[in-house]
Amino acid sequence: MSLQLSTRCRSALAGLLAMVALPAMAEDLQMWERSGGNAGMVDALVAAWNEKNPDRKINLTYIPHTEMVPKIAQAIASGEVPDLMGMDLIYGPQFEAAGQLVDITDKVKDWPELKTAVQGHMAVSTYEGRLYGVPLYADVSALFYNKDLFRKAGLDPEKPPTSLAEIREYADKITALGGDVKGYFLPGSCAGCNIFTVGPLMWASGATIEPRDANDEPLQGDGVKEVLQWARDMIKAGNVHEDARAETGETFHLRFGSGKIGMMGTGNFNITLAKEQNPSMDFGIALLPGVKSGQVSSFAGGDIVTIPNGSKRIDDAIDFMKFLLSDETQVEVYAKMLNMTTRGDMTDNKYFQAEPKVQQVAKAIAVAETPYTLKFFELINSPQGPWLQMLQRAYYEDTDLDTIISEAKAQMKAIAAE
Amino acid sequence: MHSKTSSYVGLLYVAPALAFVLTFTVYPLVQMVWMSLHNWSLIAAKKFIGFGNFVKAWNDPQFWTSLEFTLKYTILITPVLMVLGYLIALLTAENRPLRQFTRSVVFAPVVIGLGASSLLWYWLFSYDFGLINRALMDLGVIAKPVVWFGADADIALGAVIVSIVWKVVGFGTILFVAAIHAIPGEIGEAAMVDGASYWQRVRRITLPLTAKTILLVTLVSVIGSLLAFDQFYIMTAGQPRNLTATSVFLIYLNSFPYLKLGYGAALSLILAGIILVCTCLQMLLSRRSHA
Amino acid sequence: MSAFGEAAGRGMSRTSAQHHAQGLVGRLINGRQKYLVAAACVAVCTVMLLPLVASVLASLKSTEEAAAAPPTYIPRGLSLDSYERLWNYQAGLPVYFSNSLGAAGLTILFCLALTIPAGYGLAKFRIPGKEALFVVLLLGLIVPYQALLTPLFFLFVQLKLHNSLVGLAIVHTAIQLPFSIYVMRNAFEAVPRELEEAAIMDGCNSFQVLVHICLPAVVPAIITVSLFAFITSWNELLAALVIMNKDSSFTLPLILAAARQQTSIGGTDWGMLQAGITISIIPCMAFYLLLQKYYMAGLLSGAVK
Repeated sequence: MSLQLSTRCRSALAGLLAMVALPAMAEDLQMWERSGGNAGMVDALVAAWNEKNPDRKINLTYIPHTEMVPKIAQAIASGEVPDLMGMDLIYGPQFEAAGQLVDITDKVKDWPELKTAVQGHMAVSTYEGRLYGVPLYADVSALFYNKDLFRKAGLDPEKPPTSLAEIREYADKITALGGDVKGYFLPGSCAGCNIFTVGPLMWASGATIEPRDANDEPLQGDGVKEVLQWARDMIKAGNVHEDARAETGETFHLRFGSGKIGMMGTGNFNITLAKEQNPSMDFGIALLPGVKSGQVSSFAGGDIVTIPNGSKRIDDAIDFMKFLLSDETQVEVYAKMLNMTTRGDMTDNKYFQAEPKVQQVAKAIAVAETPYTLKFFELINSPQGPWLQMLQRAYYEDTDLDTIISEAKAQMKAIAAE
Repeated sequence: MHSKTSSYVGLLYVAPALAFVLTFTVYPLVQMVWMSLHNWSLIAAKKFIGFGNFVKAWNDPQFWTSLEFTLKYTILITPVLMVLGYLIALLTAENRPLRQFTRSVVFAPVVIGLGASSLLWYWLFSYDFGLINRALMDLGVIAKPVVWFGADADIALGAVIVSIVWKVVGFGTILFVAAIHAIPGEIGEAAMVDGASYWQRVRRITLPLTAKTILLVTLVSVIGSLLAFDQFYIMTAGQPRNLTATSVFLIYLNSFPYLKLGYGAALSLILAGIILVCTCLQMLLSRRSHA
Repeated sequence: MSAFGEAAGRGMSRTSAQHHAQGLVGRLINGRQKYLVAAACVAVCTVMLLPLVASVLASLKSTEEAAAAPPTYIPRGLSLDSYERLWNYQAGLPVYFSNSLGAAGLTILFCLALTIPAGYGLAKFRIPGKEALFVVLLLGLIVPYQALLTPLFFLFVQLKLHNSLVGLAIVHTAIQLPFSIYVMRNAFEAVPRELEEAAIMDGCNSFQVLVHICLPAVVPAIITVSLFAFITSWNELLAALVIMNKDSSFTLPLILAAARQQTSIGGTDWGMLQAGITISIIPCMAFYLLLQKYYMAGLLSGAVK
């Protein structure tokens, strides 16, 4: 509790409080990170750093993830910034374009580790050729399927679906098992879960979603409509649990491990979770497909770590970035926790070798995309934004899909134009 | 009284509060008015756009959706709160142990925070984990669990109203009880002699003599409902499709996550204006009932 | 509740207040109706108490049971797991709890320091433009405070008040001030003039009148203002998020918000959430039950005019 009291308020009480206030640890670096992301991973990374750097420990503060963007903006506008910021990677361009982050290009240009760092993370950390951040952790989406339910439904557990039509066909069979089992899962109230798991279905089908800037046309390609039609039909056919409609993301990660869902798009984090939840469940992992067999895609998500303008500890922050990308951290922290390594050349390690599922998921990195836009939250991630509204209308209404798409386009363009 | 002393003495007593309000309410409010004339994202330079934000609000379908929803919520919840609060007040007005105890219990939720109570009800209404679906299923009222939040705007609104009625009905009850106690005893006695029935006496004596309090509680409740935010932020998050996003919710969205501070400020001024009009109407009503 | 008399007070003695209340509703109630009323009271109490009981019980479930679907009504076994997780969460519950307590304490202090003199001044003095002044003081009632937070934040940065409990308490005071002024002014107006006039005749100045005559008479209102200032500050989330920058200066409501997105990819930790709700309700309830008789009266004298 550090109380910075102005000379203007010297009431007796304020003085008293200042006396009992603990002095701030001057040598700690302050770092902000969004809560609810991959807290366990970030905690472990910071703990590993603190063990090695007792004289310049990092003090971590989690900000509720819905408030991360305004919190960062307020901090920057007021000059009261932390020394380091972990942020959802898709918000990178917004802050880079506004000139609010420290340009680290010259300090890191000789690092060999950057050559193999996750491409999507590097792309959103770059603005007009200058670099502003490095990967903090990576998540990729893939298709998880329940082999036990495949067997029960008479499907080959070694042949996951390779197209949307096959997903539909298999889902129908699994749903037909009855009871509380459904073939697929589509989250109805979670914008982030949908861009992570439904977005790739559209990309794989050759479509684009978000506009890069004010001049870019959003939602291009037939894939958008094809995927929406497919999703609408899936829900109409009863292949999705009814309460999926209210899925805000709070229980998304628990769905697959419940053992009641045949297939669903989710992320690599679900490997460890599903095992904890349901140790006896046999499941497999494939790439998220498109309309045609052979089309695949994935969303590379996660966080980047950046330095806000006004940070007084730039060199220490750069050292932390170096530490994150080092071979030892990649293997002994990331891989050991069965998390994606943030460098492509580090996937061949002893921990991944012992866990084939992680290797399967790691294949997604090669086909993964990361949206690059200055208005990601408002366009895509906001529960109140046009992306989720479009999906909800497609999933649960009967309005003509062309109408829904053109209205979503108009909304997205209006947001991008501001 | 102190009427002989100079008016400055009175002003001196009010000065600290006035200075505080001028610094921490009026000054930010003036800044907000100034912000509303700009396009400002916090992380980029401000741009003066005159009344552009107000024009934008007029043309923004979400602004109207939110306003309509806020009014709907206010119009639905206010009578429920008033009638229930008054009935419980009539039930517990007499100072006897069980009734006093009931009064205390009804008031108890008023003292817990809106955030805590909203989270509590969010859990009770939860599809899988909530006791409400479980209890309704066990009682045979519903055949399968209901998706309370996120699917149907009206169902979500109903659920929110239930939680808020539980939370604040006691506030009205306590004030109504006080008003009933303040009715001079002789009036009731006289009516008793007339042989009027209980409900006749409530209608002819109790209600008219507590009208001022009813108006006051209505006003507080209406202002509170027009400014509703926490319960929707926590329970519905505006879902489905922003149909349950109240006006303040929209203000919050623009002022915080969307970083459209000017637009958020303009929306706030419009809402404050609407509340001011409602308050003045109530005051006029109150004056008339007084006469 | 014995203070109802003083509440409705203003010259009416307690016995007569009770007497007429009973005169109005009491006499007609015969045996059968008595049971009806009792049954209605029990029903109302049950409905009001069930959610609270359910929450407390849920907070005592084991981690697995708290996350069970469908949920159990009564915990199969009592466990303090959820409280333990809450206790050790990030900087630790004691830190958040004491921050919340500090902010709430300061908010009470600020509210009283400002509204006792203001209520006295507004109720007992002739001030030119008093009506307008009163309206300015109540201005906060009609503005959504969420929109004032950003300008306030920048003001606080200039004044070096951000990331401090004092700053947070100032925002909470600003939110709570209109209600407090309203209650205080009405309470002071209810103090019989004869008392003051006698004191003035004895040569007391206005300050002595305030301290010796009026203050003892407005104790219920002071308690009321304190209670509601406490509730507001104790539960406020958004300002705490905007003003505070460090984990070690966060407050309890922030932790509740975090508990909703707590598991590794942001799922809800139901058990910890229930424990958090229970912990945040306890002080409010304690305050309420301890001081019930005072602030009931305060609310009554302050609001029913």
